[in-house]
Amino acid sequence: MSVDTLSAGRARRGFRDLPVPLVVIALAAIIYVAAAVITGQTNQISLPGLSGLLQRTVALGLVGLGQTFAILVGSIDLSVAALISSVAVLASYLMQGDPGMIVPAILACLALALVIGAVNGGLVAYWGINPLIATLSTGLILQGVLAAGYTYWSGRVAPEFQALAYQSLFGVPLPVLLLAVLALLAWFVLAKTRFGAHLYAVGGNPDGAKLAGLRVERFVLAAHVIASLGACVAGLYLAARLQSGTPWIGRDGIYDLESIAIVVIGGTVLSGGKGGVLGTLAGVLLFASLDASFNMFGVDAFLKQVLRGAIVIAAVAVYAVRNKGHVA
Amino acid sequence: MTAVLEMRGIGKAFGAVKALDAVDFDCRAGEIHVICGENGAGKSTLMKVLGGSYRPDTGEVLLEGAPVRFHHPREARAAGISIVHQELSLLPFRTVAENIFTGMEPTRWGLLDRQRMDERARALLRRLGSAIPTRALVADLSIAEQQLVEIAKAMLVDAKVLVMDEPTAALDDRDARSLLDLVVRMKAEGVAVIYISHRMPEVMAIADRITVLKDGRQIWTRDRVDVTVNAIVTAMVGRELQDFYPARAATGPGSPVLEIRGGRNALLRDIDFVARAGEIVGIAGLEDSRKSALAQALFGDTPFSAGEVRIAGRPASIRSPREAAAAGIGYLPGDRKREGIAPRQSVRDNVLLTLQAMAPAFASPNGGARSRPKVDQSLRDMDVRAGDFGQEIATLSGGNQQKAIIARWLMQNPRVFVFVEPTRGIDVAAKAAIYQTMRALADAGRAIVMVSSDLPEIIGVSDRIVVMHQGRIAGELPAGAEEGAVMRLALGVADAPSVREMAS
Repeated sequence: MSVDTLSAGRARRGFRDLPVPLVVIALAAIIYVAAAVITGQTNQISLPGLSGLLQRTVALGLVGLGQTFAILVGSIDLSVAALISSVAVLASYLMQGDPGMIVPAILACLALALVIGAVNGGLVAYWGINPLIATLSTGLILQGVLAAGYTYWSGRVAPEFQALAYQSLFGVPLPVLLLAVLALLAWFVLAKTRFGAHLYAVGGNPDGAKLAGLRVERFVLAAHVIASLGACVAGLYLAARLQSGTPWIGRDGIYDLESIAIVVIGGTVLSGGKGGVLGTLAGVLLFASLDASFNMFGVDAFLKQVLRGAIVIAAVAVYAVRNKGHVA
Repeated sequence: MTAVLEMRGIGKAFGAVKALDAVDFDCRAGEIHVICGENGAGKSTLMKVLGGSYRPDTGEVLLEGAPVRFHHPREARAAGISIVHQELSLLPFRTVAENIFTGMEPTRWGLLDRQRMDERARALLRRLGSAIPTRALVADLSIAEQQLVEIAKAMLVDAKVLVMDEPTAALDDRDARSLLDLVVRMKAEGVAVIYISHRMPEVMAIADRITVLKDGRQIWTRDRVDVTVNAIVTAMVGRELQDFYPARAATGPGSPVLEIRGGRNALLRDIDFVARAGEIVGIAGLEDSRKSALAQALFGDTPFSAGEVRIAGRPASIRSPREAAAAGIGYLPGDRKREGIAPRQSVRDNVLLTLQAMAPAFASPNGGARSRPKVDQSLRDMDVRAGDFGQEIATLSGGNQQKAIIARWLMQNPRVFVFVEPTRGIDVAAKAAIYQTMRALADAGRAIVMVSSDLPEIIGVSDRIVVMHQGRIAGELPAGAEEGAVMRLALGVADAPSVREMAS
């Protein structure tokens, strides 16, 4: 604790008062529009073009929503990529193209996510295992089981289920609506409910939260369950989108690390207690508009990764400057 | 008046250390009961037992006559025990209102009722005489304002027992006065107030009864009208001096080795300080005296931002530990596990740490002065007892670890040694060895600065005692000063009438 910080900065702090999500969304818009104008593909700035852009945000956005909860309580979830693959494989194996199995398969996937989330949360909250190690390990176990058993578990999702990923309502793709609804729900929980306030308290100061009478472990556990549920929905979406799940879709999408990256870009601090899902959405939108811009320019995909990395570093640096003088 | 709270025969041990030993304590409705005691006397431990953070090994707690056993702070809070904690437990990135209501947020239709939170928070703060905006972020508040938020948080529940653990430590006089007014008002409302403080004027101003703790034991509980400041001070320090301190040097100190003139930084003010060759300067002070900040400033860890530093008469710039080490200052940190040793490395590697750090970048890590025989010789000189100097240093006893760190600095041959809490967590025999080593280092012409919270050690070892109070040097005492004199300076009551008072 640094002492004698004066309250002088309270009145006006210039750019520090701008909400993070707005700044990031503005940045995403500038990049996307500039790319479209420069490459002359102004048809990208249209309803279909934008809905295509939004469609790109769905999978990572869903994972990011869950990851936000884990990071807010001061934890982290590295098992999401493996869980996405597991859910996609499980869903296509159970459905085997049979529409009657859609609901049972979804329920089974949710149950799997609950179990994995509870295991992650239990290891972190009650056993005191470092979250990086605990969730990395559960992820490795899932990935190993998948790789070993995949030959017996092949299958494909029902065509009706697949159609959900491609249909639109009022011109908006259904998956985008799903992401919007879940994001709204997550925002609501964090900003408006007592449970949300407690998550912030636990992440911001675990000892203080305990002294204030909160059962800290339960909230860490709950956050991990929510993180796993986010990954589960993302896995279901990818299975529908790709017709069938493979053990590599989570890993190939780098959903573990990229979900952490968008959460951080969105202004959620890794140590917990500050941030929210709006920032995460802004972060995924920034990544998606980068992708789209690179496609418009026709630039090598590897260069895209370089720029993504640079953006994460820049974001963290900007937040470090903004938070200077804050007493933590 | 009936006792709302009774604690009977409370005992609590951490390992072999008895933090509390059969302490009896009670507090009545409409009473302010002050607890006084030195650092480590057991005040905070007793309150943690009350607040449900610790479970006592022995004894029982009675609330309104009925025995209670708290397993989690939430149970204590629900039972009407509110605690303003010494270390702040706030959430920096949440608003004032959110912080005040942590864990007890009001809801309406299942949603947070922010309007009610704001209104009640504002009312609570107004009662504290403060107009902090309830939607401000806590990170943007001053420390004093944060302290007020912490108090408002504790007042949220209708407390039967309100505990304040040094609440005015971070406040200036005006804020402290309005806080004391509030405490008196709470008392008038029938709350049982337990107040921990070592600011004597405020203790004498508000207390109804006073309990003095020392080394985990209750010395006495008396009505305020029956005690004087001197009686409290005597009870806080009174103990027998052990005789394992080494004899002082026969000759007087030599020329100044380390001089600070007008040193200041965010934590320290007006530091004028001299350490001479051949003497041990003890630096004493209570927890909030910032004596460890002085040690860190001397070693450049949190350097002085203004003032003049001279080493052996020559101006020196010490803005980092590296510069301090290069200038000939050695440093034994207070938190040995965290700052002193690399626990998983060998004893030898730990000893080599500074030498290797200061060596040229491409020098052989074990060349010249860093060779194994030299390291082993240095360890043997310090009488470090280890089966093998290649074993992990964490496997050594605290005393041997401390000696190994001294050996580390001796290889660097510094002119000044800064010891911070040199014997914390070390057994008695090892303590005596450390004292002898310090004396030997001084006799060899080095200046020793010893920062310690252990009063007998300060008095037994120091040739000169510098006492700190709230970031300033409150005064200086000669060797063998009375504990009471040190404590009066440390408490900032040095002007109180001095009465001869050593516990006999």
